[in-house]
Amino acid sequence: MGIQSTNNEILLRVENLMMHFPIRRGVFQRQVGAVRAVDGVSFNVKRGETLGLVGESGCGKSTTGRTILQLYRPTAGSIHFEGVDLVHFKGEELRKMRRKMQMIFQDPYASLNPRMTVAEIVGEPLMVHNVGTGKEISERVQHLLELVNLNPSFANRYPHEFSGGQRQRIGVARALALQPSFIICDEPISALDVSIQAQVVNLLEELQEQFNLTYLFIAHDLSMVKHISDRVAVMYLGVIVELADRDALYSNPLHPYTQALLSAVPIPDPVADAKRKRTILTGDVPSPANPPSGCRFRTRCPIAEAQCAESRPEFREIKPGHFVACFFAERFI
Amino acid sequence: MVTYIIRRLLLVPVLLFGVTILIFGMLQFLTPVERSALYVRDIPKTERQVDGIILKYGLDKPIYIQYWRWLVGTIDPVTGERTGGILFGDFGWSRTGSQPVAELISTRFPNTLDLTLWAVAPVILVGIWLGVQAAVHHNGFIDQAGRIFSIVGTSFPTFVFGLLMLMVFYANLQWFPPGRLSTDMQAVVSSDSFKTYTSLLTIDSLLNGRFDVFLDALRHMILPILTLSYINWATFLRVTRSSMLETLRQEYVTTARAKGLPERDVVYKHARPNAMISVITLAGFTVVGLMGGVVITETVFDYPGIGKAAAEAAGQLDVVTVLGFALFNGLILIVANLVVDILYATVDPRVRLS
Repeated sequence: MGIQSTNNEILLRVENLMMHFPIRRGVFQRQVGAVRAVDGVSFNVKRGETLGLVGESGCGKSTTGRTILQLYRPTAGSIHFEGVDLVHFKGEELRKMRRKMQMIFQDPYASLNPRMTVAEIVGEPLMVHNVGTGKEISERVQHLLELVNLNPSFANRYPHEFSGGQRQRIGVARALALQPSFIICDEPISALDVSIQAQVVNLLEELQEQFNLTYLFIAHDLSMVKHISDRVAVMYLGVIVELADRDALYSNPLHPYTQALLSAVPIPDPVADAKRKRTILTGDVPSPANPPSGCRFRTRCPIAEAQCAESRPEFREIKPGHFVACFFAERFI
Repeated sequence: MVTYIIRRLLLVPVLLFGVTILIFGMLQFLTPVERSALYVRDIPKTERQVDGIILKYGLDKPIYIQYWRWLVGTIDPVTGERTGGILFGDFGWSRTGSQPVAELISTRFPNTLDLTLWAVAPVILVGIWLGVQAAVHHNGFIDQAGRIFSIVGTSFPTFVFGLLMLMVFYANLQWFPPGRLSTDMQAVVSSDSFKTYTSLLTIDSLLNGRFDVFLDALRHMILPILTLSYINWATFLRVTRSSMLETLRQEYVTTARAKGLPERDVVYKHARPNAMISVITLAGFTVVGLMGGVVITETVFDYPGIGKAAAEAAGQLDVVTVLGFALFNGLILIVANLVVDILYATVDPRVRLS
């Protein structure tokens, strides 16, 4: 759990973000459609908080994260970071901004260059941004490794000599190297053994406290998100359907999709588990290349009505700090 | 790293043993008369001479004794002179070359090596460069152009392309003649004042300060170089391109971008070195293939390399010479493999441990 930010300074403001990947066919590679991976997402992240972003595989969580970092160039929308819009940043300007926002990747096996030593991997960001001399950099690398509980004498080893959890901690050290204020954690623990997950999550929390970091924590493990987040956003098929304080969202979910997700979380009490009402979804997630009209969720929604196919429900603040995109959310208050 | 190299070196004798067994096995298909070329210059004519040779060199002895004698040779009890013995560099007498096989190899191989060096460097550099560009600008102009050229390159038979070059640049334009050297330059090289350092004509001529000889040698080599390059660079382009495309999709490349590296560094410092791992194998095999003699190219351009000599020997059923070349090729392959393996380990730290 991050520190509840005392001030409400908004670090990151995402407005109506869209990321469409073109589908091209035919001899002349004409664009015949688009995969609407992210299709109009808006949210704020306050300084010092952890915003959890959950959803099924393929709902656009990771794309949202990568688009915020400008690893993909968004189709539309704006991303204000510390008050400046990143969308129009290019080249050198963008590289400079990268010092302040970093990413921890999902797969610790794939995200470290196998030909570089740990010292090179962690030290490279410092080198490209001209932070300090060679000696200073190597001292800083040692310090960073200590920070993530790795033996600094491992600095000259290669990634393949480490375990998954250790590699992920190298990834954390690398992300921290430039002392960023904002870190996107893209499912940082889902590739790790359960026994290692807690170790990495605890490390992330300690570091947040120590450096006043802000996290966007992308995951599909609801209990882990509940543990680490201050607020939680739920994504479905490229849009955010619900966003609220963690406790409000977990105790009183207002969107039928959130309700279904939460009811799938097992309760470690057989009696309570048998008694509770489960919302079981049928069917598959529709294709993001051809999403349903109106509400994205209507094809699988237990309470869908005719209205849902006609217009898209507004993402509205139904209670203070609790946003929902559903026409009938009032029913559940 | 050192243990890796030592472990790898320990394999060499085993491989060498395997190669000699194979070659020796093939020699056994020859009649004793043919096999006598391993030891004597003149093929015996009368039955008495044949019997004498069989007796003298033990060609009727059990096979392991014959193998041993093939390795270390036979010492004449009277004169104490050694004949045969591949371990001492005696590969027998080449009927087609009218000289010992070892001597034939040592005069022809430098020519092939010379050609290989000149053909390989541009092929590898240009092929890799184009492959990287094609991958970086995936489906862009360079990629499409490279695709067309490499299809043409790989589907054009060497002899057609070679003859075409010969037709245009020799028959019509008279620019680049076949062969090794012009007659007057050959005289310079044969004279005593021309010192031999490396046996590679292009390098030796420069070391002797004879720039005219160098240019003449190059003039004769240009067509074979172009022919060899044309066939091989397409392969390099394709392999580099696909390897590079795969690497560029790796997560650590995204990591590199997220670090804030300029795109140039992302491509050349992170992606390309990793993509080179599969290209090194190809480079190794290409170099070995070329050093083993490029039979068709050397024949078409009448280039006095090892490939042409082997082809001539094969055409006249001079099996001892052919197998001598085969043995030599085996040695090159073993050495080249060793070099490739060591390169692998320097390029890819994961190899060292396994």
